[in-house]
Amino acid sequence: MSLDTRKTRTGTAPANTPRVTSPHPAYKKRMRLADSLQILCVASVAIVVAIFLADGGAAKFGTPADAFTSLGIVAGLVGTDLLLIMLVLAARLPPIDRAFGHDQAMAVHQSLGKPALYLILGHAALLITGYALAENVNVVAETWNMFTTLPDMPLAFLGLALMIGVVITSLVVVRRKFRYEAWHAVHLLAYFSVLVAIPHQLSVGGLLRDGAIARYYWLVLYAAVAGSIIVFRFLLPVIRSLRHHLVVDRVDAVAPGVASITLTGRKLDRLRATSGQFFVWRFWADGLWWQAHPFSLSSAPSERGLRITVRGLGDASKQLPHLKRGTRVSFEGPYGLFTENARTSLRVVLIAAGIGVAPIRSLLETVSFAPGNATVLLRSHSLGDTYLVDELTDLCRLRGAELRIIAGKRPQGVSTWLPADAVRAGISLSTIVPELESSDIYICGPRPWTDAVVRDARSAGVPKKQIHYERFDW
Amino acid sequence: MRARAVALATLASVSIVGIGWQLGSSAIEASQSLTASSGGTATAAAASAAQAAAQSGTFTGAVVPTQYGNMQVSVTIANGAITEVTPLQLTNRGGRSAGISNQAAPILRSEVLTAQSAKVHNVSGATYTSEGYLRSLQSALDTAGF
Repeated sequence: MSLDTRKTRTGTAPANTPRVTSPHPAYKKRMRLADSLQILCVASVAIVVAIFLADGGAAKFGTPADAFTSLGIVAGLVGTDLLLIMLVLAARLPPIDRAFGHDQAMAVHQSLGKPALYLILGHAALLITGYALAENVNVVAETWNMFTTLPDMPLAFLGLALMIGVVITSLVVVRRKFRYEAWHAVHLLAYFSVLVAIPHQLSVGGLLRDGAIARYYWLVLYAAVAGSIIVFRFLLPVIRSLRHHLVVDRVDAVAPGVASITLTGRKLDRLRATSGQFFVWRFWADGLWWQAHPFSLSSAPSERGLRITVRGLGDASKQLPHLKRGTRVSFEGPYGLFTENARTSLRVVLIAAGIGVAPIRSLLETVSFAPGNATVLLRSHSLGDTYLVDELTDLCRLRGAELRIIAGKRPQGVSTWLPADAVRAGISLSTIVPELESSDIYICGPRPWTDAVVRDARSAGVPKKQIHYERFDW
Repeated sequence: MRARAVALATLASVSIVGIGWQLGSSAIEASQSLTASSGGTATAAAASAAQAAAQSGTFTGAVVPTQYGNMQVSVTIANGAITEVTPLQLTNRGGRSAGISNQAAPILRSEVLTAQSAKVHNVSGATYTSEGYLRSLQSALDTAGF
């Protein structure tokens, strides 16, 4: 292991650095918001069950036919409620991003996919069985009856088929086989599948009959979800892109294949972006415009400009270092909770590997700490292959943070974030960073590496709320 | 989720479901007492003698629109007695509704034949079907002067 510790701790903080108190005020506020949103989600499931019961649903379990039918209705109600929650989680609502961060919201979105599908499949299966029992016909004949005689049922079956397709293409194994854009196009059919299922709920569903409170409750729910998707997922990004008129100002080579891209635009302070956040960028240049990429800010955003530092990994993003000045840029964002907003403690540890240094670099600029209370760890194969080291060194000096570069190859067959010799010497995060347990730890790097750092921090006794990392594999 | 959020969410959900349950059971009680009170007229059978003046033949009732589709029945009267009720259109909007109609129609028919009138109680669980069926029947009986 080669360890490069730079003498940076002597620096003094700028006079305007805010005083940090513990526990961090932002944390309490954020957790209150998170709690309320979670309670709202759980309560929404309770409400749909309560509506079923209020309609006298409890009395409709007497015969096998009734029991199947009633269970089918409840499965449909709960399943649809989960689908709407999934749509809201993916709609990039500002309160959800503020409380959980985009990646957490998407993780919950993903975990709800299968339960929602199973409930909707159960809804179809249970109701077909229930109706078949009531009419004394077999399930195939009953399915055909439904399809041919009931209003809006062909649409509902279409919705079900689309939903199965959307969930199957999102299974990890299947999803890998698709290009992101193709997968995403299929995924957007989910909106359509929810939409085409609405007519049968209103015409066939006795619970949502004309004049019933349940009908208005569901209509309001659908309107609210559709409204938030249209506004926050589609309109707001377009309006912001037009209003702020971002263009590429300069591209600076950082290393082979790595470049810092500075963007300028109008009134960028109104975006209320903060260090550590990311945007989903679209560069309007040949061969690039059809792809959108999430990249983190690599310096603190200002009224005049935003800067990202990118490494060309994908087929099209390889062209990014060759962007021309003046290229128009549209964007969605800012998103993410890899920010000062996530703080809980007095001290800060910033840990980066590879291009993960970008958000760490911007955080170092503005995250609050008293001189001597911050450590920056850069992890690389060799001392030479780190990015933005000079900028980091200057910032550490200015703000009074310690910078350590830990270089060396990871051992084979062992899951660790440290070099082989460090592992042999029994070095871990807690031996490198003093007072780790009273620090907020920000980690950005490749996923397996990040997981290894998180495990190390957890085993050193750092509470989960102090460990901050963001995934970009949603 | 934090423990506090779990506790509050549980509390909120239990109360919401509890309120729903309460509203539901009072609704069920209300509908049961209604059925019980109207049950009295059902057994009041016996066609009145005045019905001897009624014409014989088959009479078609009015189409009665219900929430689950149209209802229409025809009635056959012979020698001053209702001998047959045939459903021409049954509510069929909603698979459950079609199932209910098919279950309820024979029950209504036999009750009508016993009571010799359209004044029989609704088949529980098939309120819309029963009301539509009996209203269409009544209009057919009116046409017949029954």
